[in-house]
Amino acid sequence: MRLTRRFTLAACALVAAALVAAPATARTLDEILADGTLRVGVNPTLPPLALFDDENELAGFDVDFATKIAEMMGVELELTQVGSPDRIPFVASGRIDFVMGAMTRTSERAKVIDFTVPAHTEVFGVLTTQDKPYTDWRELNTADVTMVQVRGTTPIAFIEENLPEAEVLLLDNYPDVVRALAQGRGDAMLDVVDFVGELMAGHDVEWKVVETPVDIYYCSLGIAKGNYTLRDWLNVALYELHRTGFTDETWRKWFGMDMIYPVQASPYF
Amino acid sequence: MAYTLQFGQVTPYLWYMAGGAWIALQLAGIAFLFGWAIGLVFAAVSEYGRGPLRWAVRGYVIFILNTPLLVQIFFIYFALPDVGILLGSYEAVAIGMALNASAYLTEIQRAGFRSLRRQELDAAETIGFSRVQTIRYVVLPHIVKVLFPPLSNQYIILTMTTSIAAIFGVEELTGRAYNINAETFRSLEIFSIAALYYVVLTFVASTVLYWIGHYFFRVQGKVF
Repeated sequence: MRLTRRFTLAACALVAAALVAAPATARTLDEILADGTLRVGVNPTLPPLALFDDENELAGFDVDFATKIAEMMGVELELTQVGSPDRIPFVASGRIDFVMGAMTRTSERAKVIDFTVPAHTEVFGVLTTQDKPYTDWRELNTADVTMVQVRGTTPIAFIEENLPEAEVLLLDNYPDVVRALAQGRGDAMLDVVDFVGELMAGHDVEWKVVETPVDIYYCSLGIAKGNYTLRDWLNVALYELHRTGFTDETWRKWFGMDMIYPVQASPYF
Repeated sequence: MAYTLQFGQVTPYLWYMAGGAWIALQLAGIAFLFGWAIGLVFAAVSEYGRGPLRWAVRGYVIFILNTPLLVQIFFIYFALPDVGILLGSYEAVAIGMALNASAYLTEIQRAGFRSLRRQELDAAETIGFSRVQTIRYVVLPHIVKVLFPPLSNQYIILTMTTSIAAIFGVEELTGRAYNINAETFRSLEIFSIAALYYVVLTFVASTVLYWIGHYFFRVQGKVF
């Protein structure tokens, strides 16, 4: 489901391109500081990056992250709820200062908006259990492997193309898939592993994420094209958040486990 | 409405969907046969049995009739493995549907037994029928005639109920339709065709059952 959104985004990037053609109204760092409010877009359809808590307030990893950034900037935080199709137009048109919500850096999106250094990663890889021998996702291409996947998601097409020998068991949702893996109905799942962290914690099973992932997505803060004063400050801020352990700590708080491939914070950017 | 139907994108999958319809037919058939057999025994126990056995059967029937089939299969598929019973998708759905159907078929067949009249049996005895002859010429023709229409209905209902198997990873008609939908996004076309397959399955079943009922058991009735 999450991956389907990635592809719809290609289409949305085009829409955004049209919007960007209008004079950009993105606010510079100085304008944000002078205004005293930082406007950040989060996507509550992607828990636990963002979600509505018991009091129906926005919460989640992205919300904690944005709160911290506003605090470092010394301004008020104003959260805006964005969805997958409209989040790029939101930031490209300057209605928000930056957008979060698994904003994977892609060359297609980078034509429309700019990205900071990575805020976190997502692993598109294989989840299995400790008793299975796999070390590389390509080893799953045999008839005695059963992949358990969520019906109607894009990894299925990837499996058909790259692991044609493997059997596929399709279930209705992520909790069912993770439960089926825990119960031994299948051998592995290929998807964005980080987002089932909470579900994995619900089963008394020794989980394993196969060492060689299919891909690692680097998710950044998305800002309006050419808004370099803001981007340069955010890069420095992100470096500090990674170095001080804030990123890892917040990740553990919301995902119930460590980030599978932690961001390698580099001072050179 | 500016939607243009594109059946061309879906036609390559017609055989794939027909395979799903075949699985649906199998599931309905298995559930019905086992449900019918269990139901027959349970109906007999409900009507003529006594003591703890009868109470156990009544308890089972009431419990099954008052819980959703989906919950029952969830229990078999996802809860039983926690106590060491791991059934495959197909087996879990087939067993769940058969058990569910058995409760409904118990009640239906119980009604069949009830429809027998004392006078019919007395009459058979009066004209000197043996026990076997009584069952062959009086009891069965009567019960079958009464039971045939509701049993046929139950079979049709089971055919459509097989669609929930998709939730448990059985690649039957609905599951396959969903898969194609995820690839082509031609929802309108795909689910229309899936619906058509179900209509074919139930229409063929209705017609066959009508002729069987009409010629073998002299059941009065119409297909529609």
